[in-house]
Amino acid sequence: MNNFSLNPLGATTALVADAPHAPDYVIKLTDIEKVYQTKTIETVALHNINIAIRKGEFVSIMGPSGCGKSTLLNIMGLLDEPNSGTVEIDGAPVKSYSDKTLARLRNQKIGFVFQSYHLINDLSVTDNVELPLLYRNISGSERRKRALAALEKVGLSARSRHYPNQLSGGQRQRVAIARALAGQPEIILADEPTGNLDSVMGNEIMDILLRLNTEEQTTIVMVTHDELMAKKTERLIRLFDGSQVS
Amino acid sequence: MIRQLFTLIWNRKKSNFLMITEIFFSFIVLFGVLSLAFYYLNNYQKPLGYKYDKVWVMNMRWNQEKSEEIKTIQRRLKQQLNSNPEVESITLMSSNIPYTANMMGTGFDYNNRTVQTNVFDIDKDFARVMQLKLTDGRWFNDQDLNSKYTTIVIDQAMRAEVFKNEQVIGKIIPGKSGEDTGIKIVGVIEAFRQNGEYSATAPGFFKLRDVEMDSVHMKGSLSAMLIRIKPGVASGFEEKLMKQASRIAQGWTLEIKTMPEMRTSYNKVALIPLIIFSIVCGFLIINVALGLFGVLWYNISRRISEIGLRRAIGAASGQIYRQFIGEVLVLATFGLLIGLVVALQFPLLQVFGVQTGVYVAAMVGAVIIIYLLAAACAAYPSRQAAIIPPATALHEE
Ligand SMILES: Nc1ncnc2c1ncn2[C@@H]1O[C@H](COP(=O)(O)OP(=O)(O)O)[C@@H](O)[C@H]1O
Ligand SMILES: [Mg+2]
Repeated sequence: MNNFSLNPLGATTALVADAPHAPDYVIKLTDIEKVYQTKTIETVALHNINIAIRKGEFVSIMGPSGCGKSTLLNIMGLLDEPNSGTVEIDGAPVKSYSDKTLARLRNQKIGFVFQSYHLINDLSVTDNVELPLLYRNISGSERRKRALAALEKVGLSARSRHYPNQLSGGQRQRVAIARALAGQPEIILADEPTGNLDSVMGNEIMDILLRLNTEEQTTIVMVTHDELMAKKTERLIRLFDGSQVS
Repeated sequence: MIRQLFTLIWNRKKSNFLMITEIFFSFIVLFGVLSLAFYYLNNYQKPLGYKYDKVWVMNMRWNQEKSEEIKTIQRRLKQQLNSNPEVESITLMSSNIPYTANMMGTGFDYNNRTVQTNVFDIDKDFARVMQLKLTDGRWFNDQDLNSKYTTIVIDQAMRAEVFKNEQVIGKIIPGKSGEDTGIKIVGVIEAFRQNGEYSATAPGFFKLRDVEMDSVHMKGSLSAMLIRIKPGVASGFEEKLMKQASRIAQGWTLEIKTMPEMRTSYNKVALIPLIIFSIVCGFLIINVALGLFGVLWYNISRRISEIGLRRAIGAASGQIYRQFIGEVLVLATFGLLIGLVVALQFPLLQVFGVQTGVYVAAMVGAVIIIYLLAAACAAYPSRQAAIIPPATALHEE
């Protein structure tokens, strides 16, 4: 039913070539349950989640700390598996995919942006941005070209030779966005991307994300604590104690 | 990918410095041990030139006798002992017997060049007792006993070193003073490695000093008697031999040892440096391995969030594993490159006169061992890094 190329770092196309219908949703979660089991306690992180995200949507997720927002984003991003329920990407359920296949899907379809940037300090800005492309079959010069193009989009071309610790928080987050963009993903999942930034830098980041959404039709799901940011998006999902409340 | 690995290691060179140094030192020590081992192995494979089994050595210490008297006693000793049915043949030799540290050498002058060679004073039965292998010319015969020249038989190493490709049989090397009539080469033997299997082949020659010579040709005396006994002779024969000898050489101090015994104890000593060096090296390697393992473990635990990030952007578990193994191999490569620069000086400068092949084998061996060691130390921590679930890895800050 899936028609993956055998080359693990193969082309972006034809990942879900013969899905039954043209997919309505880029991400669709149905009846998701997620429970974290530790020795002593059982935490219900997500309960009865049903979310469908259309192509080109900009969705924000809000909710108090510990309500399951990151868990939800991780499940959407194929970084974590639900205990039950189905996750569909581009109309194809991803259940029982191998680690390799999931990695390839993440690499080709999804770009991640984290609150704490997750840059590698020992690599230059360009090398950081190139990272997702390293897991593809792309020549060095092509990688460089795409990395520089991505840096251009976030307005950091001038800093390509810098190292992360020479940059401000806002600049670091822009590098992280450029890294997410370098792979030209359909979906960007951003977990509190402005959480570590003051409002000026936060707004800069938000503007970049909005521009990506409108100009390039990139689907974006963003976790935020900021009502003002959330208001700028098309749709808001509120979580409380692992359940959807709106 | 490889380029990125190098960049990453290079940019982290400060924190990787310790590991690179450790790898460098391990390589150097390993290179030393392997050079020594391959050197011994290389020597061991070369022909020894003689047969030591069934040879007994009798050392003789006489009193105030004159050299003529000693010669008479030794002639009788040879005759008497040889008449035993157990004895196959007997020869007299200077004190530089195989498997002893006694050395006799000379600077052999030829073509304005002096080559340091071993000299063995022996009588004409020596080739039979030691079962030397003649490769050219002939062994000493009766004509040589009172020849005008000092007749010698040289070994292959000396021929190669002193005479290169020249025809040597019958060659006469004139003496320098009037009294010294010169040297005549009559034969070439394969080898005679006095210091045993582990020693290097050194040039040497035999000079005839037979008790049958007259006093003009034979000055001084030979202090060792080598006795080849027939197969199957019990060791009780030693006592009989000793009794016979003491009756003839009254007042002399005599001592019998078997050459296999001498060989065993001599070779043990020869191998001591290698053994000590190997033990030291073994400990060092264990230390480095533990250190490497610890540092890798620590590094990986510090890099959990990087692992999470890489997994998120598309690295499969196997790629994380390969990355960490790869990093260690790149690290090892840095250490090895420095090490090779140092190691290469040995064959280039030829400090110890050891064959280049030995060094090359040692370098290759040490490189392989270091890579295997590094990969082995990295395997477990890398495995652990690879199996961390991505969500968990991203969670940790
Ligand atoms: N790996 C984990 N093991 C155990 N419990 C976890 C783990 N990850 C998250 N949780 C728990 O699940 C709940 C939701 O966490 P999270 O999704 O990180 O919340 P949020 O991002 O909304 O703050 C919390 O109670 C958290 O303690
Ligand atoms: Mg969170």
